[in-house]
Amino acid sequence: MFKSLFRFMKLMGSRLPIYLAAIVLSTFGAGLRRVANSYLIKNIVTAAQTRNTENIIPLALGNFAVFLFGLFLWRTGIIRYNIEGKTAAGKVEKLVFSKAMRLPMSYYEQNHSSGFMSRLVFDTQKAADIYTSRLRRLLDAMISVVIYLVPMLYFSWELTLCLVALCILDASINILFARPLKTAGRKLSDANNRVTEKLTSILSGMDLIKIFPVGASLSREYDQASGEYFRIQKRSNRLSAGTESLGCLFDLTGPLAFLGLGIWFVSMGKIGLGELSALYSLYGSTRDSFWGIGMYLPQMMNCIGNAEKIFEFLDQEEEPEQWPFSAEPDDRAEADVMLSVRDVDFAYTGGRKVLERFSMDVKKGSFTAITGESGSGKSTLAKLLLGFYPLEHGSISVNGKPYSDITLKEVREQIAYVPQEPYLYETTIAENIAYGRQGADREEIIKAAKAANAHDFIMKLPDGYDTLLGERGNTLSGGERQRIAIARAIIRNTPVILMDEATSALDNESETLVQESIKALRSGRTIIMIAHRPSSIAAADAVVQVGR
Amino acid sequence: MVKAGLRNSYLLVLFLLFSYAMNKAVIMGNEIIAKVIDTMLSGQQVVFSAYMLPLLWIAAIGTAAAYFVSISGSHYSAAVQRDVRESLGAHLMKLPFSYFDQKGTGSIITRLISDISEMGRFFSEILPQLLTDIVVLAVSTGYVVRMDANLILVLFVSYPIMLIAANMLSKKLAELTRKLRTHMDTRTSLAYDAVQGIVVGRSYNLYEPQKKKIYEVIDKMVEQGCRSTRISSLSWVVKITLTNIPVIICYLFALRETMQSRITVGEMLAFTVILDRVLNPIGNIVFCLNDIRETGVSIKRIQEIFSQPEEGTGGGIRRIPASDRAVPAIEWRDVDFHYDSAKEHQVLNRMSFTIETGEQTAFAGGSGEGKTTIFKLFCGFYQRQGGQYLLFGHPFEEWSLEAARSCFSEVSQNVFLFPGTIRQNVACGKENASDEEVMEACKNANIHDFIMSLPQGYDTPVGERGVKLSGGQRQRVSIARAFLKDAPILLLDEPTASVDVESEQKIQEAIERVSAGRTVIVIAHRLSTIQNSKRIYVVSGGRIAEAGTHQELSEKQGIYAEMYGKELTVNV
Repeated sequence: MFKSLFRFMKLMGSRLPIYLAAIVLSTFGAGLRRVANSYLIKNIVTAAQTRNTENIIPLALGNFAVFLFGLFLWRTGIIRYNIEGKTAAGKVEKLVFSKAMRLPMSYYEQNHSSGFMSRLVFDTQKAADIYTSRLRRLLDAMISVVIYLVPMLYFSWELTLCLVALCILDASINILFARPLKTAGRKLSDANNRVTEKLTSILSGMDLIKIFPVGASLSREYDQASGEYFRIQKRSNRLSAGTESLGCLFDLTGPLAFLGLGIWFVSMGKIGLGELSALYSLYGSTRDSFWGIGMYLPQMMNCIGNAEKIFEFLDQEEEPEQWPFSAEPDDRAEADVMLSVRDVDFAYTGGRKVLERFSMDVKKGSFTAITGESGSGKSTLAKLLLGFYPLEHGSISVNGKPYSDITLKEVREQIAYVPQEPYLYETTIAENIAYGRQGADREEIIKAAKAANAHDFIMKLPDGYDTLLGERGNTLSGGERQRIAIARAIIRNTPVILMDEATSALDNESETLVQESIKALRSGRTIIMIAHRPSSIAAADAVVQVGR
Repeated sequence: MVKAGLRNSYLLVLFLLFSYAMNKAVIMGNEIIAKVIDTMLSGQQVVFSAYMLPLLWIAAIGTAAAYFVSISGSHYSAAVQRDVRESLGAHLMKLPFSYFDQKGTGSIITRLISDISEMGRFFSEILPQLLTDIVVLAVSTGYVVRMDANLILVLFVSYPIMLIAANMLSKKLAELTRKLRTHMDTRTSLAYDAVQGIVVGRSYNLYEPQKKKIYEVIDKMVEQGCRSTRISSLSWVVKITLTNIPVIICYLFALRETMQSRITVGEMLAFTVILDRVLNPIGNIVFCLNDIRETGVSIKRIQEIFSQPEEGTGGGIRRIPASDRAVPAIEWRDVDFHYDSAKEHQVLNRMSFTIETGEQTAFAGGSGEGKTTIFKLFCGFYQRQGGQYLLFGHPFEEWSLEAARSCFSEVSQNVFLFPGTIRQNVACGKENASDEEVMEACKNANIHDFIMSLPQGYDTPVGERGVKLSGGQRQRVSIARAFLKDAPILLLDEPTASVDVESEQKIQEAIERVSAGRTVIVIAHRLSTIQNSKRIYVVSGGRIAEAGTHQELSEKQGIYAEMYGKELTVNV
């Protein structure tokens, strides 16, 4: 538990000392303020008792000055603290996001994206509470105790020690609640994840919901997840109510104990009434601080639960720079072979073998079509060429370089991919194309769009290249989306272009257009197309059959 | 939201009752202590045990009350959150399609997670705190008034100044919060987008640029947060100073009252204790404005979704009228349509056509001519701007939307699979479909054998986007769904597009089976599919440019002949 906290705090790096100093400063300022106040009470009560009001005004003003100074220190500290805390919270979000982008492909296929969304939105927010409130409250309470104890001990150490014993008893009972509260925090996070999952299902399946009677059951599942979240919330509420009522118990019995002890000490003549009342005002704050320790510690545990969720996410293995390939690299590769696949075995985790001892050579500058029946592993082959998965057996090399010798980044710099369902990002058309090559200017974008026969329809849109694509890109037809994806591949200017059923959603007219642009592209490029139509296979120089 | 707040208000009432009891206990405890101190000061013997029992009783009652205060307060918040979450979910389902075109999933997710929990803070912390403060203030003020009415006057002097300061600061804070939330939306959308498009992102090495983009937004969020911390800390300084000055004045005033023997020293001590209880709530109540305005931003954002008009339920026709071959399934007269997001771009321009019941009709035409849009209008996903649309002879408006949609099943180019098993994904075609029905549908869709070859069979999970199935397999899953739905009209959007020859045969077979006895409307580019259609409409420029059979159109030397001429020669 403390290990996680420690690790979480270490994320702050070199800013941690500044952050902690800011907490101390703000706490010290706040403490100073309250001590000044208690001195004021002491002075006034003593004046009332001795019936001597001389000097009371300058004394009060002096106390007020100290009070203001304390306030100033507090504010300086608290601003710095918040800046450091919020910056660190941002850092955690960045870590979660970077992680989410670097996981192996199998993660995205096996896990619902809501898991990551809920990590990013819910868990980081809760865990960052450690930076921006929980830790400070706890430390504040601890430091305050020390600050208040000094004058209290000065007023009467015997009485103070007795009171501290009471406070410690109070706080330790509260700490018993820490562990159950932490468990509740983790459960709450899981429940939230489920709510998000159901929600994303609803949102992304909206078209189906409208037309199939699936809405009711999705809605029921969502309500169930929401109800589950509510139940766990209630359970954790009961726990916190327990700590709060205990706090109240001590709040009420505290004065009783104080009185009993105070009367005894006064009657023994060990303490004056002025000191007693000043002590009383400080005792209130001390007790509050002790109570705060008892209350904030469990809350902090709750947040640490969320931090642990984040760590679990962050600790997952990332896609490596390159895969360790089992077989010896193939050195038979001839000079005119662009892509060579040798004896490849592959199966998805827990699934049947998709490829078995599969080999192929793709000649430089050729147009190779890959065919095979549905489910025979054509799309899987494309993913393997892109290095999305490690091979079980065999080797792949591009341009004479085996994948085991170059990084995945380099592999992907060789191949421009047009996936089966072209994904367009929620941004402008121009940027979607420019994603193919960083820093591409407008002229190059237009050139690529023209080559993909997309320019004309883009110009027909009211905002042209600056048209914002919605999440669903609803206003674009399948063929139009495909052509934008092809433009993106063209601008990338790689030696290999890999198209997975790229012409599938194109109608005859646009397919002809695309075929033409592919022909124009062929100079110096190798094109691999997972194709089904007789027309596109006919245009190919070579045909590779996958499966059987 | 208000409704949810009211529906659960009994918890709030309980909260108030208990917090009254709790505060009363605290005050009574203080009264006893004041009495003890007075006795002590007057030099009399203090019989401690006499006070012990009542104080213990008070403590017991106070503790119990505190428990229920906390429980009722936080349950209230949780219940309101749940109600809002659920009614928001139900509302989202009924929103028209166009809403989702404008608002990304990211923004909706932030609203449903982050804003609801922020709103929860209003109900769990701010509102109860405000009410407690009012209760405490009332109870404590009453106590002080009984002691010395003059003291109260001093207390309330600082009130107006605080109010003005708080009002100014809270407005600024709310503005910053609103900006922060907008940035949060952007962050969530960007992250969601990046993860959804991971295949493209990975293969194009987009990690760095996407990281840069999202980091910029996160930095902006941090910046907004830091700015608001300056203002909120300033408001604390103002609050603390403004509550402290009256404290000093009150002390001095009380001192004077004691010197003039209007109150006893014991009363004065009790007063100093109670003073905090009066002053704190005054400050809290005023500066509550900050919190209210801040959470108000979230509440407004949720309200924004609620205020979106729902799709409406449509007219009164709830049942598909008895099939009459003489009545065309669909008839359009001069239908106009453009998307709200692109008003200048008229997609459909006075389009008219008739689709006969029980026949197969094909729409052909170039990409982006609006063929898919026609299907969306059939199902009532979007509202046309002009013209008439008759479904089985009745204006679409007279149909209940649900009944109208139950007339259609769709096999589309983008098959969405819900996260779940294959069985669940097929079963969604019909409510309470039995396992036998699901299997029967899959057999008809020629996908049963494939499913059975999977190690987990029908219980095989399909990923979020059904990534583990190939295009052709997913299409067959969607055909199976259509079998189960058993609707009179079948919409086929490029059904044989993305599959190989062998799958195409299987799919063709499945489609022939599912088409039997139904009205079939198809968007197709394959000649083979089109040739089977009784009537072909060629869409161009938002109108029906040509209509007729394959034979008629081929001879016409128009768009159709131009488009399919090449394929004709290939096939011949």
